[in-house]
Amino acid sequence: MAIGRSVPVRDAEARVRGAVAYLADLRLPGMLTAKIVRSPFPHARIRHLDPRPALRIPGVVAILTAEDFNRPGAPRLFYGVDRKDQPVVARDRVRYVGEPVAAIAAETPEAAEEAAQAIEVEYEELPAVFDPLTAAKPEAPRVHEDCPGNVFLHTRLRHGDLEAGFAAADLIVEETYTTPPACHAALEPHGVIAQWADGRLTVWSATQAPFVVQETLAELFGLPREAVRVIVPPLGGGYGGKGYVRLEPLTAVLAWKVGGRPVRLILERSEEFVTLTRHAAWIRIRTGVRRDGTLTARQVEVYWGAGAYADITPRLLRSAGLVRVVGPYRIPAVHVDAYGVYTNLPPAGPFRGTMSFEGAWAYESHMDTIAHALGMDPLELRRRNLLRPGDRFCTGEVIEEAFFWECLEAAARHVGWDQPYEKGEGMRRRGRGLAVMMKSTLPRSRSECRLVLRADGVLELHTGTVEMGQGAHTALAQIAAAETEIPLERVQVIGPDTAQVPYDATTSASRATSMMGAAIREAAARLKEEMRRRAAPLLEVDPEELILQGAGVTLRGRPEVWIAWEEVLRRHGLEALEAHGVFETQGGLDPETGQGIASPHWHQGAGACEVEVDIETGKVRILRYCAAAYAGRVINPALATLQNEGNMVFGLGQALMEQIFFDQGQPLNANMSDYQIPSLRDLPEVLESVLLESPEGSIHGLGEMTLPPVAPAIANAIFDAVGVRIRDLPITPEKIWRALHGE
Amino acid sequence: MRPEVLHPSTLSDALAALAAYGEEARPLAGGTALVLLLHHRLIAPRVLICLEEVRELRGFQFAEEGIRIGAMVRLQELARFPQIRERLPALALACREVGNIRIRNQATLGGNLAEADYASDPPIALMALEAILEVHGPNGPREIPISEFFRGPYTTALEPGELITAVRTPFPPPGSRMTYLKFRTRSAEDRPCLGVAALVAFEDGICRELRIAVGAACETPQRRPEVERLAIGRPLTEVVIRAIAQGYADQIETLNDLRGSAAYRKRMIEVHVRRALEEVRDGHRSFSAGAGC
Repeated sequence: MAIGRSVPVRDAEARVRGAVAYLADLRLPGMLTAKIVRSPFPHARIRHLDPRPALRIPGVVAILTAEDFNRPGAPRLFYGVDRKDQPVVARDRVRYVGEPVAAIAAETPEAAEEAAQAIEVEYEELPAVFDPLTAAKPEAPRVHEDCPGNVFLHTRLRHGDLEAGFAAADLIVEETYTTPPACHAALEPHGVIAQWADGRLTVWSATQAPFVVQETLAELFGLPREAVRVIVPPLGGGYGGKGYVRLEPLTAVLAWKVGGRPVRLILERSEEFVTLTRHAAWIRIRTGVRRDGTLTARQVEVYWGAGAYADITPRLLRSAGLVRVVGPYRIPAVHVDAYGVYTNLPPAGPFRGTMSFEGAWAYESHMDTIAHALGMDPLELRRRNLLRPGDRFCTGEVIEEAFFWECLEAAARHVGWDQPYEKGEGMRRRGRGLAVMMKSTLPRSRSECRLVLRADGVLELHTGTVEMGQGAHTALAQIAAAETEIPLERVQVIGPDTAQVPYDATTSASRATSMMGAAIREAAARLKEEMRRRAAPLLEVDPEELILQGAGVTLRGRPEVWIAWEEVLRRHGLEALEAHGVFETQGGLDPETGQGIASPHWHQGAGACEVEVDIETGKVRILRYCAAAYAGRVINPALATLQNEGNMVFGLGQALMEQIFFDQGQPLNANMSDYQIPSLRDLPEVLESVLLESPEGSIHGLGEMTLPPVAPAIANAIFDAVGVRIRDLPITPEKIWRALHGE
Repeated sequence: MRPEVLHPSTLSDALAALAAYGEEARPLAGGTALVLLLHHRLIAPRVLICLEEVRELRGFQFAEEGIRIGAMVRLQELARFPQIRERLPALALACREVGNIRIRNQATLGGNLAEADYASDPPIALMALEAILEVHGPNGPREIPISEFFRGPYTTALEPGELITAVRTPFPPPGSRMTYLKFRTRSAEDRPCLGVAALVAFEDGICRELRIAVGAACETPQRRPEVERLAIGRPLTEVVIRAIAQGYADQIETLNDLRGSAAYRKRMIEVHVRRALEEVRDGHRSFSAGAGC
């Protein structure tokens, strides 16, 4: 059985040896280098832009500015997956430091660089606003002229009688939590190659969403979808930063201006910090609770700082931005108000654990504050309120698969939660903490695949799922092998390439294994059905009498009557047999009430840890961490464990060190020396991973589940150790020290 | 423009190249700092003078009174070299704490000093060890005590055309104990928020010599001899230790950066000077006790 086996990642050795051809390794004949000229100001009017001095530099082939969009037959200037508020290059106004104002295509990187310096731009600075709360005030400077108050979307969730809920409470606790912008910091930067030939566009992009890119570009150029082909090489990490549409429009329009030669854009590390960030979030959470720990009401107000352009934020706000900030609890009355706010910072978007990380940071820290106020064990408080199978969530959905308690309990057990505990008396104090989270996946999306069984016995899996180091192609090949009973070694994964593989929404939100996996199951069933139909006349029996076994077809009850799949194809003179599979989910919430279907299933994860705090310095060491996720069914235990451990390490960085610092909109640490991510030496001394399965469980994604609990679990352990509550991420030694020493 | 790279094999050739190209040339040692500067276009030299093959800059030399370390010796070699670990453990500890193994295998001691990044470990240890830098330039060789070498962040006493050729470190008095404490506030590969090197020599339990160097929290590595003197002729009691720690905190002007505020750093100086002194007083095996705080 190919499922449940720890087969190695398909390209593991190639990745380690440096043999994988990433986008940066592709070389096309006549390829030009692209370079972006970026705004140095957070908010300014462009008074004058003159590319002519740069055009005189030898080797400069083309310079793209907003002027080009006025030409007849020109593409559209504005794009955006939800609202088209973002220009490919700025026209008369720049809204963040780093916003593209021009793009150069040149024969060499040196010429492109020189040209970038030579372009003359005159700016007139405008008042700017950076934090979402200030930006949402009516008198704040407007990031977009047509959006006073900068709130471009306000969504609501209304469940139950809030007033009655608070009235029924013995205690009401209100707190505010914040998370700063952060950088995805994928090892591979963003890169795109675009080339036009005969009115058709081919784009190679390190993207997580090839079909979204295809659709956006087709619309931008007024072309049918088929005229745009998007090919995705293996990615060196994504974490949401390569989701939706990033630099493809700019590169494609630059290539359009160039004519036929391919144009390649690869970002420098510093540019990564102004391309897409995590949202700056401000969350006020207010909860009513009875003395026995029963939650009676919760009100959450969230300001999502989206940066200068809406990007994917409106879509997120209609579901994720509401339901990912509440917590996996049974609460009779819940109100959420989510505001999407423009600021003069780079656009914000999906970020591994999108909005669940910020949400769990607030609601799980908050749960411990409540437990402390009640004098109750934090695990016990959660036990009394966690959603159980059959409970109704605040969206009105009945949660069938609910393993929140099992995840939390498993994590707690691993850190010896029920054992007596010595916190220490000297300079180093110990404490324990835990947290649990609930995350939706996309409410409405579709995955398709094609299985092609070749006469040579190879099974091709055509899929739009992007391999970015997470092992998706390995897991999907395992599913295909298991469902068709073809040996795993004979399964070949093809794609993503929009010209070759059927549609898939995106590789994000931990949906690939579960959604694409379901599409593969369907395709496999069809393939087998087709095989039965083709084999029946050859064996001179009825298709109903045939069963598929191994890589062949057998007559029921008569195993000696057998024919191999290859043989069936050969006898029919077929080169291949194809089957298509589709899996689609329908859902969505009412934007006024937040009622409806938020997610086809719920991601569930928990964490528990033991920390040591140096009370003289505020420095925290994680002694032990256990990450527990509900997996439903594990496809590949080794990969699943790596995902879980990766979540923990990723979360550790977000919890303790990661933040892009902006000073008046200027990024101060746009490099990997000043923006620190965890190293191997930052790992806890003991790191444990628990993957819960259930016999009738479906396949759940695992790429994010145990990430959101990391920060609150650590913060709760710090509170347990030294009685200090940190509410603003990241939890730096200095913040703890200041809280301890009252400075 | 990509710079041209020269590969002199002798010191005189390297100096001649430096003299010939003047401001347009940069010496290239390990490259861990220089390549970043090039990449970020903070410098744009026409010529790089690679020092890799310059014989005179390599290796260690031992003498009765101390050790002479060639400027091109890698930080990882210093961290691993048995005699350095044994005789100058604070230096081995400081080098071991730099960046990660990939950085340490490439970065050189001479390059580290010439870069003069304020947030760097080896210079702090060398301050406490009273190292002397051997420098060659157009006017011949000269020596610069490390206490006079750093003029400010990224600024040194090197004159145009001069190269660091070696670092001479005298052995400390017999019976000395020393340590280096690195305090990081972010990842385990971060530069120091603060580094403290301490060296103490006792005679019958009485402190005969005390040296404490503090760096990364301030623009250059610092010593405060008037505060160090508080310990001389006394046993290193808790009261003395606290007075010295307080003295260092009070007298060093700290800076703000993303690793910590100036106010926080003052208090961290107090904590870490105290901890370093407690460690050397108690005679912990300074090397294996580690400094990965």
